[in-house]
Amino acid sequence: MANDEKVISADHLSIGYPIKGSTGKIIKKDICLNAMKGELVAMIGGNGVGKSTLLRTLIGFQPFFSGNIFIKGLALNNYREKELAKIMSFVSTETIHVSNLTVYDLIALGRYPYTDWSGRLTEEDRSKVDEAIQMVGLKGYEDRNVNFISDGERQKTMIARTLAQDTDIILLDEPTAFLDLSNKCEIVHILHRLAYERGKTILFSTHDLSIAIAECDKIWLMLEQQVKEGSPEDLILDGSFSSLFHNKSLYFDTEKGDFRILKETGQKVIVKGDGAPLNWTIKALERIGFEIITNADSKTDHTLLEIESSYPSWFLKSSETREKFNSLYALCRYLMDSKME
Amino acid sequence: MEEEIKYKPGSNVKIYLLLFLLVPVFFLLDLFVGSYYIPISKILQSIFNPATSEPQIITIIREFRIPKAITAILAGSALSVAGLQMQTIFRNPLAGPDILGISSGASLGVALLVLSAGTLFGAGINSIAGSWGIAGAAWIGAGAILLLIILISARIRDIMTILILGILISSGIIAIVNILQYFSNESMLKSFVIWTMGSLGSVTNSQLAVLLPSVLTGIIIAWFSSKSLDAFLLGENYARSMGMNIRFARSMIFLSTCILAGSITAFCGPIGFIGIAVPHIARMLTGTARHGKLIPVSILIGALVMLLSDIISQLPGSEKILPINAVTSLLGIPVVIWLIFRNKKIGYL
Repeated sequence: MANDEKVISADHLSIGYPIKGSTGKIIKKDICLNAMKGELVAMIGGNGVGKSTLLRTLIGFQPFFSGNIFIKGLALNNYREKELAKIMSFVSTETIHVSNLTVYDLIALGRYPYTDWSGRLTEEDRSKVDEAIQMVGLKGYEDRNVNFISDGERQKTMIARTLAQDTDIILLDEPTAFLDLSNKCEIVHILHRLAYERGKTILFSTHDLSIAIAECDKIWLMLEQQVKEGSPEDLILDGSFSSLFHNKSLYFDTEKGDFRILKETGQKVIVKGDGAPLNWTIKALERIGFEIITNADSKTDHTLLEIESSYPSWFLKSSETREKFNSLYALCRYLMDSKME
Repeated sequence: MEEEIKYKPGSNVKIYLLLFLLVPVFFLLDLFVGSYYIPISKILQSIFNPATSEPQIITIIREFRIPKAITAILAGSALSVAGLQMQTIFRNPLAGPDILGISSGASLGVALLVLSAGTLFGAGINSIAGSWGIAGAAWIGAGAILLLIILISARIRDIMTILILGILISSGIIAIVNILQYFSNESMLKSFVIWTMGSLGSVTNSQLAVLLPSVLTGIIIAWFSSKSLDAFLLGENYARSMGMNIRFARSMIFLSTCILAGSITAFCGPIGFIGIAVPHIARMLTGTARHGKLIPVSILIGALVMLLSDIISQLPGSEKILPINAVTSLLGIPVVIWLIFRNKKIGYL
């Protein structure tokens, strides 16, 4: 079945920097990872674990030590450059600094594998370029100088270039770095559409866990000692995310799906309420170091604090006092002041 | 305050036309200036109706001024196209045709011939070797450097490393040339130093018969590399990911640069600044980054700048001549500064 086709397959791959005549430096050994047709895959890992190295090895920029890479079933080394260029394209972290380059010209460069020796664009080339511009939402930007557009727009231009290259596989190295949240979401949304609507296999590295978990079909989790792959939910449930970082003050909250800093918890407090106000009251109290008990028996210790949130007011009950607050900020300041005493 | 230079497709045609029409004007002006006064009517007469002209005018025009003017056009075009390619492939706005050491290599060839062989054969080396010998020595020097660069380029992936190696090799060669200069006698030294100042006027018609096809070959190779050059704008990694055969593309670009810079240096001595400045002027005038347009515009602007430099070097009205190298720098630098202030930045390339 076509959907079972492994489009990218790393087979016992060892990556790093081989040097002739010496052992070189191995970054990661024995990697076995796959990406299927039409999948949106995020590569997640700490700094220095080898994400960029793996991407650059997969596209053929860097040689590898051992093992093999199969692209659409064929070994990477068996491809000629021109053929490979029609199957795989790449967006790197490099910023392009060229004067006089228009958005259209840059995107049109993506047609390189298809044009003749003169680089002239045919009707088909032009329509692919226009389509790419449309897909990333840059219509109207064609004549703009690449140096004078925003970072988000420039990133979209680079992605549009790979679209013009019309490949089944697109590899991106940290495409959402340095972008604001709105641009991050837009970029990932474009990638999502490319995978789902166009059946492209998209592999990108990122530090944005929440976006990756929310949008991707598969995560390649690059841990210190090994690599794991699976759907984001599988990897969360089996605890793989917890071993992502070695930072002892960091833990992975399986319920919420993100990392939190371990805080010393002090006083316990019962919190009542519902909906978003309850959630945010709990978050604020956790931030200032309280341990939250939501399901409390009435038979519990009377010295415990009790907070009732009924937006836009908060009521604080303790054995000594009853106070009303009109904002979470005021409540928190009060609690912090009384903790100081 | 940076201004966005918008690419206006129509205006390029006007620029082409203007530049193209200026070339014959400057050409004629260049024929006009010279220590022997010849009115323009007689110049045209000697070209189109030689039977009615005086023989010495024909000689001056045909054997001296026309070859010189044609050499100026060839030198200006060749160095500009060479400089353009070097700036693109190294993504360095300060690159010029001699960045790989081609001019230094040519200098070494000539230095070895003039400075050391001179001590063996005596002061008559210039007449023994003749300008063919000097050209040959320069070419061999430049060719040796080309070979070295291509060998390095095959073994080293990173273009920046090649750039640094090229600069280092160039410096090393200059050091050797300095040593040769140090140990030579006065007349040899003066001959060599005069050679380094560059001269458009010492190219004979028979030499032109070699120079012209060489420059044309170099330009044609560059023209065929337009697509690769455009892709190189994004850097070698992207170029590779788009299917370019990097080694082949690099070799063609280096070959073209060596033929262009090597030939000009061989026959005219090292001429600086043009190769660095003219591509920038071309970019600023056209507003495009595509080499299919930049190459022809660089050819036209290079020819004009060189003709103008030659006109100025004749110091019209006096008997003296300035060395061409000095004029190209003194002329070119204010022009580039003016352009920078107009556009507020020279751009990354």
